[in-house]
Amino acid sequence: MWGKITLAALFALMICGAVRFAPGGEGGRAEDSPGAAALRLMTWNVGYADLEPDTRAQTKDLPAVAETILQHAPDAVALQELTGEAQLRALLGLLGGRYRGAVAQKGRSDRYEAVLVKDAGARFTEVAAGGRYALAATFRAGGSEIVFVSAHADAFSAARRRAYTEAVAEWSRSRAGAARVFVAGDFNFELRAANETNLYTDDLKHDGESYSLLLTHFSDLGRGAGDTAVNDRRIDYVFGPRERARPRRAEVLRGAAVGRMDHWPLLVEVAL
Amino acid sequence: MPTLLRVELAKLLRAKSFYLSFAALSGFVALMLWGFYTYAARKTGGAAVEQFRYTYESKQYFNGLTFALYSTLFAFTLLLPIFVAATAGAQVAGEARAGTLRVICSRPVSRVSILAAKFLVSGAHTFLLLAFFIALNLAAGLVFVGWGDLELYPGPLNLVDEPGRIARADALWRFGYAALTGTWALLVLAALATFFSVVSDTPVVAIVSALALYLALYVVGRVEFFEHLRPYFFTHDMDFWRDVFKPDVPWQSLWHRAFRCGAYTTGLLLASAVVFDRKDITT
Repeated sequence: MWGKITLAALFALMICGAVRFAPGGEGGRAEDSPGAAALRLMTWNVGYADLEPDTRAQTKDLPAVAETILQHAPDAVALQELTGEAQLRALLGLLGGRYRGAVAQKGRSDRYEAVLVKDAGARFTEVAAGGRYALAATFRAGGSEIVFVSAHADAFSAARRRAYTEAVAEWSRSRAGAARVFVAGDFNFELRAANETNLYTDDLKHDGESYSLLLTHFSDLGRGAGDTAVNDRRIDYVFGPRERARPRRAEVLRGAAVGRMDHWPLLVEVAL
Repeated sequence: MPTLLRVELAKLLRAKSFYLSFAALSGFVALMLWGFYTYAARKTGGAAVEQFRYTYESKQYFNGLTFALYSTLFAFTLLLPIFVAATAGAQVAGEARAGTLRVICSRPVSRVSILAAKFLVSGAHTFLLLAFFIALNLAAGLVFVGWGDLELYPGPLNLVDEPGRIARADALWRFGYAALTGTWALLVLAALATFFSVVSDTPVVAIVSALALYLALYVVGRVEFFEHLRPYFFTHDMDFWRDVFKPDVPWQSLWHRAFRCGAYTTGLLLASAVVFDRKDITT
């Protein structure tokens, strides 16, 4: 009898211990530093999920995209999966002349990366990366020169993602001395310790290397904001300088997607 | 109780399966060494450091501690559970199968004491297995790969969300802690096997049942369809043992899941004790 009573007492003790150490909710995501000049950046893959015949951005969705951009008024927006220059022009028109923009070359993919910037003096530069093209905008904000890159890594091959990320990271790192460089976009890698996959695969290794390479030079500013795409995936990122940009806010705008978009915009605000 | 423990320990030490488990783990370490080298050679033409140049900028990445970590994490999931379930599952059902359970229970000791002694011996075997395996991996890593700091990166193993480093001395302590947390986690499986061992009269049924349930929950827990059920699987909580390898150990989560494992273990032992106490032993 005493043995069973002891076991029952131990069982109760374990339950109490589990309750006592139960994790609380997530802490605040924003780090506020009032007074400093702020830079607000957004990245959004406006393409559709694989269910559709054409998974690129749909022109009929552009008013909703423009409305979200105008509502949150980011200083710069990185867009992925546009169909080309015509969609960009349509979007800029919907934004009422508040933004300037450009699209990159198409490269190996059938879709385009774009950057929109509020600053009228912004300059745009293409970044060749693994057969694709990212697009960088250079502009001024808060008295600083900012370089903002819109990137979109391969969705289907971790090795190609790695090659692409290496090229973008190398290009961005080389500009980091003269400006504050931010790299944003859909990198298609998902690396969360909570995923529990603990078997070694080449794909995981490639993605781990891609992400770690970026973290060698940049901070992952949207880490606390949560999933950015359907199926609980965090594959859209905004990376910024480790020292020269303090994060103030990171938020995924989950109500913004329309139609069959499978990504939500990630909005990041940093103090310069 | 001490006498019971001595008797059960003597039985364990006389069993061939006890030594087989250590031999199998040694073989796994040899396999891991072979895999570690051939992977690097195949991917890099022998220049392993070059292969890890980005994630693992430090030339120290590919070292014995890394090897020991990979080997331990791989074995913990699928290899060690087999031996733990085999030992614990055979404790009572093995006696029933051999026809000695009735004699044991006719002695003037409570059945719960017998069960406790058998479980404690299973726990000791689990700890010895894990401690031996970790020590062997560290030794093999030191001799064949060489030591350095333990560097961790997002991706493989999913241990960290950002690159981190644990100094060599601290890392060795972490492996020591892992022997304890790993044992605590595996005791859940030992208790499950003990329960099936009490319910069943054949050790094979007890062992296979425990392993089948463990593997089923482990696999189902990895399928995204069942993501929302995952926190309710004991296999999810058993994973807490790996947290000691994180540069900043998440103590609250670690204690929470450790206590949950303790609840599974003691709950299953309590159920085993109730069933065993009422069991009509006819063999």
